[in-house]
Amino acid sequence: MRKTLNFSWIVLLLILPMFSIGQDRTITGKVTDERGNPVALASVIIKGTKNGVTADDNGRFSISVSARNAVLQISAAGYGTKEVPIGNANNYDVQLVSNANLSEVVVTALGISRQKRTLGYSAQDIKGEDLANTRQTNIVNALRGKVAGVQINSGGGAPGQGTRIVIRGIKSLDPTKDNQPLFVIDGVVMDNSTTTVNSQGSLRGLSNRAADINPDDIETISVLRGGAATALYGLAGANGVVVITTKSAKAGKMRVGFTTSYGIDQVNKFPDVQMMFTQGNNGVYNPAEFFPVWGPTVAEAKAIDPTHPDQIFHHYKRGYQNGNQFRTSINLSGGNENALITSSLAYFKQDGVIPNSDYKNISARLNAQLKFGSKFKFNPSFYYVSSGGRRVNADRYNESLTYWSPRWDVKDYIRPDGTHKTYLQGNNNPIFGTYSNQFKDDVNRLISNLALTYSPVEWLDVNYRLGMDYYADFRRHAAPGPKGLVGETPHEDNGLGFVNEDRLSNRIINSNLMATFKKDWTSKFGTVLRVGNELRDIKYSRLSSTGSELDIPDLLTLNNAKIRGTTEYRELYRIVSAYGDLSLSWDNFLFLNITGRNDWTSTLPDGNNSFFYPSVSLSYVFTDHLKLPSWISFGKLRGSYAEIGKDTRPYETNTYYNSSVITSTSQVIWTRGDTKGDPGLKPERTYTVEAGLEAKFFRNRLGIDFTWYKLNSKDQIINVSASPTSGFTSFILNAGELQNKGIEVVLNGTPVETNHFKWDVSLNFSRNRNKVIALREGLAEIIVGTHFGYAGSTASMKYVPGYPVGNIYGTSYLRYYGAKPDDKINVDKSLPYVIAVTGTNRGFPMRDATQRILGNSQPDWIGGITNTLTYKNVTLSFLFETQQGMQKYNQLGNFMSAFGIAKYTENRRETIVFPGVLPDGTPNTQAVWLGQGTGPDGRNYTAGYYRNVYRGITENFVEDASWVRLRSLSLGYDLPKNIFKGSFIQSANVTFTGNNLLLWTDYSGFDPETSSFSAGSNVDAFAGFTYPAVRSFLVTLSVNF
Amino acid sequence: MNKLTRNILLMVLLVSIVSCKKYLDVNTNPNSPTTPAINGLLTRITQNAALNVYRVSNITSYYTQYLASPNASSPTDVYEPIDASSAWTSLYDNMTDAYDLEKIAASQGATQYQGVAKILLAMDLHLVHNLWGSAPYTEAFSGNTLTPAYDGEESIYQTCVKLLTDGIELLKKTGSTRTIPVASGSAVRVDLIHNGSTDGWIRTGYALRARLLNQLSKTPQYNAANVLADVDASYQPSSKDAFITVFNVRNPWNQAAVNNAGLLLDGWLSSYYVDAMDGSTFGFADPRLPLTASLTRFNDYRGTRNGAGRVGSGTQKDESYISLTGYYSSTSSPLYIISYEEVKFIEAEAAFRANNKTRAYAAYLEGIRANMNKMGVAAVDRDAYVNNPAISVGEANLTLQHIFQEKYKALFLMPVTWDDARRSNYIYQGFQLPLNAVENTYIRRLVFPSVETSRNGKNVPPVPDVTDKLWWDK
Repeated sequence: MRKTLNFSWIVLLLILPMFSIGQDRTITGKVTDERGNPVALASVIIKGTKNGVTADDNGRFSISVSARNAVLQISAAGYGTKEVPIGNANNYDVQLVSNANLSEVVVTALGISRQKRTLGYSAQDIKGEDLANTRQTNIVNALRGKVAGVQINSGGGAPGQGTRIVIRGIKSLDPTKDNQPLFVIDGVVMDNSTTTVNSQGSLRGLSNRAADINPDDIETISVLRGGAATALYGLAGANGVVVITTKSAKAGKMRVGFTTSYGIDQVNKFPDVQMMFTQGNNGVYNPAEFFPVWGPTVAEAKAIDPTHPDQIFHHYKRGYQNGNQFRTSINLSGGNENALITSSLAYFKQDGVIPNSDYKNISARLNAQLKFGSKFKFNPSFYYVSSGGRRVNADRYNESLTYWSPRWDVKDYIRPDGTHKTYLQGNNNPIFGTYSNQFKDDVNRLISNLALTYSPVEWLDVNYRLGMDYYADFRRHAAPGPKGLVGETPHEDNGLGFVNEDRLSNRIINSNLMATFKKDWTSKFGTVLRVGNELRDIKYSRLSSTGSELDIPDLLTLNNAKIRGTTEYRELYRIVSAYGDLSLSWDNFLFLNITGRNDWTSTLPDGNNSFFYPSVSLSYVFTDHLKLPSWISFGKLRGSYAEIGKDTRPYETNTYYNSSVITSTSQVIWTRGDTKGDPGLKPERTYTVEAGLEAKFFRNRLGIDFTWYKLNSKDQIINVSASPTSGFTSFILNAGELQNKGIEVVLNGTPVETNHFKWDVSLNFSRNRNKVIALREGLAEIIVGTHFGYAGSTASMKYVPGYPVGNIYGTSYLRYYGAKPDDKINVDKSLPYVIAVTGTNRGFPMRDATQRILGNSQPDWIGGITNTLTYKNVTLSFLFETQQGMQKYNQLGNFMSAFGIAKYTENRRETIVFPGVLPDGTPNTQAVWLGQGTGPDGRNYTAGYYRNVYRGITENFVEDASWVRLRSLSLGYDLPKNIFKGSFIQSANVTFTGNNLLLWTDYSGFDPETSSFSAGSNVDAFAGFTYPAVRSFLVTLSVNF
Repeated sequence: MNKLTRNILLMVLLVSIVSCKKYLDVNTNPNSPTTPAINGLLTRITQNAALNVYRVSNITSYYTQYLASPNASSPTDVYEPIDASSAWTSLYDNMTDAYDLEKIAASQGATQYQGVAKILLAMDLHLVHNLWGSAPYTEAFSGNTLTPAYDGEESIYQTCVKLLTDGIELLKKTGSTRTIPVASGSAVRVDLIHNGSTDGWIRTGYALRARLLNQLSKTPQYNAANVLADVDASYQPSSKDAFITVFNVRNPWNQAAVNNAGLLLDGWLSSYYVDAMDGSTFGFADPRLPLTASLTRFNDYRGTRNGAGRVGSGTQKDESYISLTGYYSSTSSPLYIISYEEVKFIEAEAAFRANNKTRAYAAYLEGIRANMNKMGVAAVDRDAYVNNPAISVGEANLTLQHIFQEKYKALFLMPVTWDDARRSNYIYQGFQLPLNAVENTYIRRLVFPSVETSRNGKNVPPVPDVTDKLWWDK
């Protein structure tokens, strides 16, 4: 609706046709696109009247015209409006130009549709069908590789697992603060948090809340990246905004769409494991040994133990299965010009590749657009979602799988009496773990929205929107206790049985009142002024109950727990804002936009809680101003500057005492809280400069969009980890400045276009460079996170002034510097290793315990290229995506060396001379054995090279995590329409999709895209025991009635 | 715009500004207060002081070979550098609370609370000192810096002594504006250690100071007379020594036994301890063994060699574990901070070093007897043990070896045994390196935990090795 409104005022600039009286006559015609294909259901209106008709599916229309010199206004979704003056002829073929080529309209801040040409900042729109084609289960995943400047990493392949999206790099140094963009659905601010509550939650791959949305419901997603683009959203939009518009009905016809898809998932990459050695320690076979594969060779073990299998199982593959997913959705819409209704119902179910993990999502949507006369419009919508499933702790699963000896079949996990089966008490079977120790979430969510538009006069619109996003999330983590049977070997993770329940509720109310004043002062000069007030009110609460030591071992209810406890947490956040937005346009080629916003927040102290920030942006469509060669179809320069202020979370300006209860005496006891608040906190500020060029050539066959930006965030509010000796374990501080700089390039082209065949290419490239400019005085570094490694090889991710975000630190091989200076920060890999000459490790490389930079988790650049080939009614589309130049610490690799699982440990019976020099600089000549125990030379090598040396050096496990992948491939076939003639089916399509089919990477673990931390965390340098990524094969049928 | 409209608009504006301010005034945390209840703070500190002894013991008992891991080459057993971040954090967490209690009490003139806070602060700090040597103190607790500097090893020691001295002085003062409530009978106690008894706290202060002064035996600063003076001011046979019996659910050693009974293996006894008690090492059994250890399926007591791990599957009672009903490990067993018998053994050692053999011998025997009485050993068994010529060696034949050996037995699971082991160069008869040890000599200290090296790296002193000796052990 608004689209038409916006157009109409531009159209007003055109010279009004003269009216004269004439006789009624019937005008017929056909509406086509640039390629001559019919445009279905275009609206044909006689300008200046309310008379109009809708073209049929073949683009044909017929309309009765009485006035002479009448003008037909023809419009259709996705196309520019065209006006056709009626002359003497009675038949008109009208060619509409697609929006993409002419005057693309994008949804910008606060749901305002603007012509893309007027924007002084970059914005990229993704169409619903492009998202739906990849059949991704999470809408955020569906954006992957399609949008410049946006880095999307799935945490792993668990059903419903959260996905992290970061636009233009990390903007907050606070390791715990969400750097993800704001999600807005149909104007309602939507929660996209990944709530973890406790460590159990963070390791269980919980969903980001945007995953609740059914991708089939989406009309478009628009990604707003820069400060000027998001300035109207205020601080909530400081990390960028993802604006989702759901499908709405079109007048005239009742439509029914049905889509169903089924797919199979499998792990796309396993680490390389050794298959030579079996269970035991020091090379000695023992079928009840803790060490899974430090024993003799399989053949040697078979000679001792005839029951030993002919070959051991694959250490990891055996623990995984094929997953599957099923989605079906039905969409109904219809109505007339005054009342349009859309509704949809969807069901999704996925079973994971780790046994006993699954996810289910049921959603229902209702959206109405009602008109009351010409002045009132009312648009209520409701979205209900029920989602959740059994979330496994993939970290624990892979850890247990690592300890599990592949001499034994991990799938043989349960005894006939239902208890845990293992070959050694203490070696826990991971499948029994996921079978008995279960964590389920159950989310009920309602997103509702009431929007009212009042247009009393032509130059004024008043919009009011009240939105609410409410969800209740019930999480239960429970496991049975030991049954007390003779010979029982209980699973250690289950303790004596427990039942924990967390009940979370989150409610966001968003109220937005906006008045829009439009005025064209001359035929060339126009203004639009918007002023408004916004209010956001977030209420969160949590009630947690824990019960342990179950009386009846397998009765999983709190009523059966001997020890019980309850805690609660409540939080209230409020923010009130006033904003203004002035757009000036000159002759439809020069556009200036100025915004200002003031926020009053509840979370900052009095005096610091009100802050104002402006933005200005300019767009210059030079092709409409200057005479340029005809091969340049379109050209635009743009630039913007924006500031954004940002508050903090509730209750961070004070320091508190926390209570607990002594269960036996019911005494409440107190302790000083771990976090030190700051009563003098002031808002963070972000300054963004952006410039860009947009151009189209050869009648829009080739398009380019280039953006450069620089963003500085100052006075960052950070929750800094501190030594517990300080009296706290973390401090909230205004501490530091961060800079992000980058470029983004989008190229679109149509290399081939004939009547039946079309080839479209779309390419995006972005690079972001960030740097910690400064930290608070006295603060040398901020620890973002650490990840365990054996024997001192723990890796940490730190922020250090002068260095980029994402540096990974750890121990390295000691190198021989000689006379060369050593900065004690970097690793000079060109230098030789120092080999020990004394001690238990003589003859082996020495370890440098200094924490040096071993890598960086932020990619140098990311990119994607989509090819779409269309031949008649067959469409083939494939997307290659890449992230290059980043490293990750591979914890799984560390364990695989410590336990002799890695392929390279097959050399454990070799005697070698390590290349390197002795501490005095002379070459090393000492031959050493790589195995455990006593070597062929009679020397006792104790736990052996891999346990004594290799596993303790972080450098060995910080790996290049760059990748290139065939993210998606889809082949669609539109069934010929003539086969449905006479039936109620209008069209049907079958699509085969493959996701994540091919992966090229040097990383040795599971898919390097996965992360050990939850989707809400900034700690992205660690991987290893993750839920592995999956490759999926899907088939989809969609039918329209 | 007429005047009326303007006034109405002004009013609306004013009201909305005021109500907006009120609307935004919601940043008061409804979940937690900014000041604690002083008694609830004290209760927590007293409880955690004892629990910290358990937490530290869960490390040191493997070094003193009271306990052994059921897993072969377990890192603690074989002297791998372990990351004791959680023990470190618990110790500092409790010291922080004691620091706050001291400040709050001082501001109110509650000298009794203040004295108790100082004594408990010293107790925790001394545990830190014994494991790591140097540690933050001067710049610690206040929240003024994120990275407190480290005080030297000896300076931490002197701080502990001073805290105890000051604490004792404060407790001796009269006119505390507020006194710790004294509960009678089974009523809920605020002070879980001494139930508000000033005398009890003073004696505990002296006992702890005696322990500290006695620790200097290897250094030239050692002064036996000072040790004995503190011993005299400390516990009498009738005094209540320092322990707690109030737990969240159960005594933590009982929890280990309960877990182990549920086959979550924990609390396995070391073969050194079992052999020392069952007669294997000394040729006569100690009647206290049945009060600490569980019987094996062979109806005897068998320990697990440190570093060797379990013999069988670990589920068939092939070895002995901390007993579910043991004196130190039943549901509401006392969890000790310092005991009367420890003071007696301190007295024996100091008197011995002061060449007062008579006093040394008497204290030595009293230490054994007191421990047996407390544990409920039958008088006949007690006397049979004490009268054994290997125990009742006579004043003239008494050696430090005897005192340390008996102290080891009487102070089962106490972290102070590791201090004794180091001071005496692991004097215990038959004591040997764990199997698969990664070092060639006995362990002498811990490396600093990762929570410090990562968050306070610039201040953490370098530690070459776990065999590096602390200042009082050199």
